[in-house]
Amino acid sequence: MTPFTITVLVAVGVMLTLAVVMSWILGWANVAFRVEVDPKVAEISAVLPGANCGACGFAGCNEYAAQLVAGTAPCGACTQCNAEKNQRIAQILGVAAAETFPYKAVVHCMANDAQRIDRREYTGERTCAAANLVSGVQGCTYGCLGFGDCERSCKYGGIRVVNGLATVYYDKCVGCKACEAACPRHIISIIPFKKSRVLVVACSNRDIGPDVRGVCKVGCIGCGACSRRDSAFQMAENLPTIDYDAFGEDDAHLVTVEKCPANMLVYVGEPTAQDIAATQDEPLPKVVQADFKTTVDQTKWRG
Amino acid sequence: MDIFINLLLLVISTAFINNFVLKYFVGICPFLGVSKKISTAFGMGCAVTFVMGIAAFLSWTFTFFILRPEAPLPAWVWAQCGGDPATKVDLSILSYLVFIFVIASSVQFVEMYVRKFFPSLYKAFGVFLPLITTNCAILFACLEILKQLQDPTNLWGLHEALAYSLAGGIGFTVAISIMAGIREELEMCDIPTQLRGVGIALLTAAVLAMAFMGFAGVDKGLEKAMMPKTTAAVETSAETLEKAGEAPVEAVR
Repeated sequence: MTPFTITVLVAVGVMLTLAVVMSWILGWANVAFRVEVDPKVAEISAVLPGANCGACGFAGCNEYAAQLVAGTAPCGACTQCNAEKNQRIAQILGVAAAETFPYKAVVHCMANDAQRIDRREYTGERTCAAANLVSGVQGCTYGCLGFGDCERSCKYGGIRVVNGLATVYYDKCVGCKACEAACPRHIISIIPFKKSRVLVVACSNRDIGPDVRGVCKVGCIGCGACSRRDSAFQMAENLPTIDYDAFGEDDAHLVTVEKCPANMLVYVGEPTAQDIAATQDEPLPKVVQADFKTTVDQTKWRG
Repeated sequence: MDIFINLLLLVISTAFINNFVLKYFVGICPFLGVSKKISTAFGMGCAVTFVMGIAAFLSWTFTFFILRPEAPLPAWVWAQCGGDPATKVDLSILSYLVFIFVIASSVQFVEMYVRKFFPSLYKAFGVFLPLITTNCAILFACLEILKQLQDPTNLWGLHEALAYSLAGGIGFTVAISIMAGIREELEMCDIPTQLRGVGIALLTAAVLAMAFMGFAGVDKGLEKAMMPKTTAAVETSAETLEKAGEAPVEAVR
């Protein structure tokens, strides 16, 4: 036997022994040191969306599930869970579920680029946070700037700037509050969607009527017609706010909406059957096909 | 007494003068990745020290008995097969495999143990343990111990290997905690946009490394103060110290 053969044999023997011994020890430890996790935690984790958005105030869905089982977290803090899911979580926990609603973002501004008056060219950094620091970007100092801080903050593609106005895509919005925090003008708020469609005051301008008309073609003039007619609306600083606790059935506020002279009260959320019927004749936008011919293919390499 | 002074000098030399992170640039990933908050940085440092101690114990044992050229196990097998005792059977080629294997499985074992019996400790630094398994600073310490055991003139005992690795871990903890402190302050500073994030972190690390070079020579001074012996004794310990301090440079290359 040469030293080489012995080296190889001993090496193989050492590694095999190590592997067997170590796997035996680890296998034994796996059984001996098993930590009993409450099976409810895994069940609840399966019901939770698993997006780890953090809107419930805990570090991820698993943490929230553990806190729920420990009894230290309120049931229904998840903004992405609908009533059915909350019901299931409550069932697993063995408690009665409170009535909860999905929370989604709404934008309190409805003026697009063409409807804003006094909009000027802005050559600074293309963020709302930067544009908000200088005066004179646009006449309205309350409304949407349209540089898309909210769009960049959204992990779900749920809000986009369309025609210079932040627009929420309700099929994607999960209510994680990221856009609310990103908006330097605080015109985005997260509200409970009791129905698939809720009313929103689509203006944030707190000035009196003539001043609003000077800077915006569609702004709320603060006439107070809605608050006189409907107890769910309160006027504060020339602007109505909606008390969503008092928000009622679909038709309860229709008269108020029609009486609004500036048409500032708009429904947001899922489209109704009428909306779909009204737009079904419109041609669909052309489906954009991905073109796999990339610029790399056409690059002429130099040097 | 000599042995304690030698150990103390080895510890100071390893923790400060030949700091793993700031002189040899091993363990940079956690040094930059987990140094945003002092509390987590300190937790990471403690976990690294702990794992490094375990790894040093295991790697010293395996190296001493199996992997080094004069190891008893392969020599015994060689003798059983009737080989010539003058020829050495060297298993050093296995070192990387064995080290990684042993470190990974022992850390896995410790993680399970801690999770079962110390849940709060597991919450505090259990998440770091699997990360550290593949940390290059750990492997660096193991290879350094292997290198010392391959050199018969200055064979390290277990106590020296343990002191070396624990001091390395302490040095790592000191470095990463200082780094985290600086980075916490930097959060409030007005940094030029181009340097924000990794840029300023690397610059900070560079300045920190240069500052740590100021420790060079501290060991010599301490040695002089603590060893009022004959010149011969001083010279020998200075030699050992220089080996402990200077030798690892080649290991990195």
